[in-house]
Amino acid sequence: MKNKIKVFRAMHDLTQEDLAKAIGVTRQTILAIEKGKYVPSLDLAIKIARHFNVTIEEIFLYDAVTSTVAID
Amino acid sequence: MKKNSFYLIVGCIAIVLVGLFWYSEEIHTPLLIEIAFIAAVAAVYLARRKVVDLIEDERSAKITEKAAMRTLQVFWVVFCAFSIGAVMQILHVPSFPRAAPPIRPSEILPPRSMGYVQLGLLCLMFFLYVGFRMYYARKYGDWEIDEE
Repeated sequence: MKNKIKVFRAMHDLTQEDLAKAIGVTRQTILAIEKGKYVPSLDLAIKIARHFNVTIEEIFLYDAVTSTVAID
Repeated sequence: MKKNSFYLIVGCIAIVLVGLFWYSEEIHTPLLIEIAFIAAVAAVYLARRKVVDLIEDERSAKITEKAAMRTLQVFWVVFCAFSIGAVMQILHVPSFPRAAPPIRPSEILPPRSMGYVQLGLLCLMFFLYVGFRMYYARKYGDWEIDEE
């Protein structure tokens, strides 16, 4: 699952810490999501999308190959 | 309460427990350390609820869950394999009648030592959990280099 969180953070001039505090997770979780190490739950994905006032599809891009690896 | 204060409290509780273990051994009262251990765990849980700067999110919950599951998966196989062998040795199941005298299984460990090995395996479970936790923490990006 690829994502554009980093882009949206830059657009809103937010640090990882700011975003993490706003949605109630750790900064390490934001970093892990940005790097594609962790796929967030639907709940967290919605929180992130709502924070930037966009839809989930605008932030998260489904990639069948990498998503299969992530499930393993 | 701050996170560091919590760790300090946990350290103090651990030291007190070690002292109590020593004392209960001296007065030959195992009940003392058993009750103290339960009380200590309860105290740690209560103190943990008071920590304000310790965020537990879904990623950390997933790391804990995966590590615990893998630990149990490995542990029960090793523990059961050893325990089955131990039970077989203790029970002396009668062999089927045959011409030759019945063969007794060779004693690998005396029953008392088997208990110690099982206790050791239980202690190893903790280290197994720590190992799996480190593995999954790394897998889910705990030690990633920050690009900010």
